[in-house]
Amino acid sequence: MGLFDKLAGWLGLKKKEMNVLCIGLDNSGKTSIINKLKPDKSQTQDIVPTVGFTVEKFMSQSLNFTVFDMSGQGRYRNLWEHYYKTAQAVIFVLDSSDRLRMVVAKEELDILLQHSEIAARRVPILFFANKMDCKEALSPVQCSQKMGLDAILNKPWHICASNALSGEGLTDGVDWLTDQIRLS
Amino acid sequence: MQYLRRDKKDEEDGSQSNPFQNLDKSAVLQEARTFNETPINPRKCIHILTKILYVLNQGQHLGTTEATEAFFAMTKLFQSKDVMLRRMVYLAIKELANIAEDVIIVTSSLTKDMTGKEEMYRASAIRALCKITDNTMLQGIERYLKQAIVDKNASVSSASLVSALHLMKPNYDVVKRWVNEAQEAVSSDNTMVQYHALGLLYHVKKNDRLAVSKLIFKYTKQSLRSPYAVCMLIRIASKYLDEEPEVADSPVYDFLESCLRHKSEMVIYEAARALVNLKNLKSRDLCPAISVLQLFLSSPRPTLRFAAVRTLNKVAMTQPMSVTTCNLDLENLITDVNRSIATLAITTLLKTGNESSVDRLMKQISSFMSEISDEFKIVVVDAIRSLCLKFPRKHHVMMNFLSSMLRDEGGFDYKKAIVDTIITIIEENSEAKEAGLGHLCEFIEDCEHTVLATRILHLLGREGPRSQNPSKYIRFIYNRVILENAAVRAAAVTSLAKFGAHCDSLCSSILVLLSRCLLDTDDEVRDRATFYVNILKEKEKALSSGYILNGLQVSIVGLERALYAYVKDSTHTAPFDLKTVPLATTPMKDQVVKPGKTAIETPSAPTKASAPVAATRQDVYAEQLAAIPQFSKLGPLFRSSPKPAELTESETEYVVNCVKHVFNDHIVFQFDCTNTLNDQILENVKVEMEPSDSDFEVVCYVPRPSLPYNTPGTTYALIKLPQDASSVTCTFTNTLKFVVKDCDPSSGEPDEEGYEDEYVLEDIDVLVADHVQRVHKTNFLASWDEIGDECEMQDTYALTQMTSLEEAVKQIIEYLGMQPCERSDKVNTDKNSHALLLAGVFRGGHDVLVRARLAFDQGVTMNITVRSDDAVVSEVVLSAVG
Repeated sequence: MGLFDKLAGWLGLKKKEMNVLCIGLDNSGKTSIINKLKPDKSQTQDIVPTVGFTVEKFMSQSLNFTVFDMSGQGRYRNLWEHYYKTAQAVIFVLDSSDRLRMVVAKEELDILLQHSEIAARRVPILFFANKMDCKEALSPVQCSQKMGLDAILNKPWHICASNALSGEGLTDGVDWLTDQIRLS
Repeated sequence: MQYLRRDKKDEEDGSQSNPFQNLDKSAVLQEARTFNETPINPRKCIHILTKILYVLNQGQHLGTTEATEAFFAMTKLFQSKDVMLRRMVYLAIKELANIAEDVIIVTSSLTKDMTGKEEMYRASAIRALCKITDNTMLQGIERYLKQAIVDKNASVSSASLVSALHLMKPNYDVVKRWVNEAQEAVSSDNTMVQYHALGLLYHVKKNDRLAVSKLIFKYTKQSLRSPYAVCMLIRIASKYLDEEPEVADSPVYDFLESCLRHKSEMVIYEAARALVNLKNLKSRDLCPAISVLQLFLSSPRPTLRFAAVRTLNKVAMTQPMSVTTCNLDLENLITDVNRSIATLAITTLLKTGNESSVDRLMKQISSFMSEISDEFKIVVVDAIRSLCLKFPRKHHVMMNFLSSMLRDEGGFDYKKAIVDTIITIIEENSEAKEAGLGHLCEFIEDCEHTVLATRILHLLGREGPRSQNPSKYIRFIYNRVILENAAVRAAAVTSLAKFGAHCDSLCSSILVLLSRCLLDTDDEVRDRATFYVNILKEKEKALSSGYILNGLQVSIVGLERALYAYVKDSTHTAPFDLKTVPLATTPMKDQVVKPGKTAIETPSAPTKASAPVAATRQDVYAEQLAAIPQFSKLGPLFRSSPKPAELTESETEYVVNCVKHVFNDHIVFQFDCTNTLNDQILENVKVEMEPSDSDFEVVCYVPRPSLPYNTPGTTYALIKLPQDASSVTCTFTNTLKFVVKDCDPSSGEPDEEGYEDEYVLEDIDVLVADHVQRVHKTNFLASWDEIGDECEMQDTYALTQMTSLEEAVKQIIEYLGMQPCERSDKVNTDKNSHALLLAGVFRGGHDVLVRARLAFDQGVTMNITVRSDDAVVSEVVLSAVG
């Protein structure tokens, strides 16, 4: 880092960089959430299933986020682990209307928590209980029960209901994440 | 220390040192972990990526795990916005795409880049994307690629068109659907896009001749802006024309000719080249193209001169007369500063020039022979070879020139070309033999190529003894025994033995020389020497001609199989019989197998040794037939007819070809049948044979149980040959019999019920030639004397329908099915008489030799003498010509 960058950092002019990994089952709304978080003019209209991953950037008040938006399809899930090492936070997106596959999501979460790169570190995990606008959607509390979130003791976590289409609930989650990082 | 040494070396070279020299693969991969750090340092990462690419391009092999690790580390660089870094990442993705696993992970990132706003990314992202895409993913990105083809940005459009070409091989059906976009791209203003679009369009349509012709007509009418695209179109057109019977009338031909007046030189050259390379064009029509090339010869640009002279050089090989008009311009190029142009000009002149100019040209070319590269020297050697065949009288000039070239420095290919040329000259021109052998002898005195030395020694062994003064070669050959490596020594020993066997006067001296080799350090040399000494001591002509001059005649694969079977058989009651081994089917002139020759060559030149051991067609047949239980008792396969006879027209419902396999007492007819009707399945297919001579007895048929549409199937018929050895010829009438089951062409489901049907085939003749296997005797006269005249037969025929000696020789060889020896199949055109020497083995292992004296006077008169070890065989062979 150059001298000028350091100076800017001290003066608080330059925002802190933050690497976030966004994972979750397919069709849970990861790309939609990230898309909604981006500035209005760079948002895209059509969201297609992600193959592999894409890198997106957005800003909150005090942080620059770099998000690795991973593909959630079954055949690509084992590739997530390549990005655990660099992740400073994890966003785990749940489809709260899909009761049936909640167990699959739990399975994936367990694998994540047991992974050597994650287990030892105090990585904050933000859960979005997405698709809250659906009629049969589970509430965040029900989700956390189904996912067994109470068992996560060594990491800070937070769950909030969200709607990626309208953007409802997203800022709530991002604010929590910002706070966590400022604390650490 | 290493650094010091390197610096010193750099100073000597006076060149800049390469910063990437001596890179270690594992160290570079270690450095690649930097990619995982945040924030990313673009300059450092670009440097590391460069190192990875360098290592890969040096040919270092990356393992799958290392590559995958490096690849995934690299994917993290997508978070950087640095343009240079991103483009470097694309390059690295392309390199690693085939090595690493799960490369598909970058698909979405690349798709985002190729559709994004940053123009610098788009073209490269497309190229990288097509490298990592497989056919399942292609559907997903198809619409992006189609859009990119018609993109305004030329580089994006070109990139997607080229990518489409790459994708076409595995995914033809997908790319086929992009024709409309490609068509739109052809009308682009950009020269490159137009060229690439036309290429893609052609490759999509190239299997459909009608579509190609439409393509050509469409774009010859609307003139293309890009000269590259026009060149492409010329190539497409010339390929199309090559399949056309009548060239000169075609409008496509007019297009090619009009291109000769194009404003771009590139197009003019391409058109001229296409015209002179057209297969079906008469030499008169070449004139405009040749005159264009002639203009180029005096162009100030060396590339054009080179292109023109190179093309003319090729034309001169086939049509020297058309090039003679350019001779004056070519003369001027002899002194061109560019040696490549000068060489080509001289060799072209050598082909087109007349006998008187040869001396001058040879002098000219030898003045700068030392300045040109080996490749061009080979061109010169080839030109000399064809020149020698054209002007046999000039051979002493050529020989001297070739021998001085032999003395010069040069690589293996170059020396081999010279030796090949000298050998061809010796074989074609008997006057040049003494001089040629002399030069070759001198060459092997100092020859580092084992392959060439053994080859020349073999040639000396064959030709030397028959020269006027054989003793002068012996010193050269014996020097090899003293000075060379084991392979050459062994060849020299064999060569010496041939002199001993052939010339009685030299035999005693040879025995002295050979007995000195008995204590050689190498097993092979010792074995050969012992073998030859013992045979020569016997002083028996028959032995020495059988074991030294003529050598083994069996097929190596067959011998190996027979020996293996003999060793595996535990009884060993009878000794191994060499007669049971099938004979070599194609005894090549220079591949006559000497005892142990392959064994000694294997370590030194494995590629050459493997050639004669490769299974011949007959060996393949023998294996197939041996697998059929009905034929297991027939003994070894004696001969298979060289090419299948067609028993049907090629366009009929059922296509049947026949191959004759002759055994000791039987003939097996192999029928290869193909059913060309897609609504029928044939079952129980067999060919019933009716012999004209009742002595031939049909033993059994091996039917083919099922013959579905378009899958070749084989059925066999086994015929017992008559006891009486003199009746060998017969004609068979054949009928194909089968049960037809109709079926649905689309599903291939046959009906339950079938009905019997038959199909009449053409007749098959069994001729004398079918009973004779070709065998090459290197020393015919020795074999002739050896076999004796007990069973000699003689007769004289008048062959009135023959119009030349050459034709007669060809016919006789065909009727008898025997191998011409001593190159007696080549007829000297200015003589009226000729002696033809033929050798073969008759069914049952009887050696047959034929000497035919032919005289030409309006018709051909032939006196034929047959010698064999069986009177009946002689009679049968004699009757074959009548």
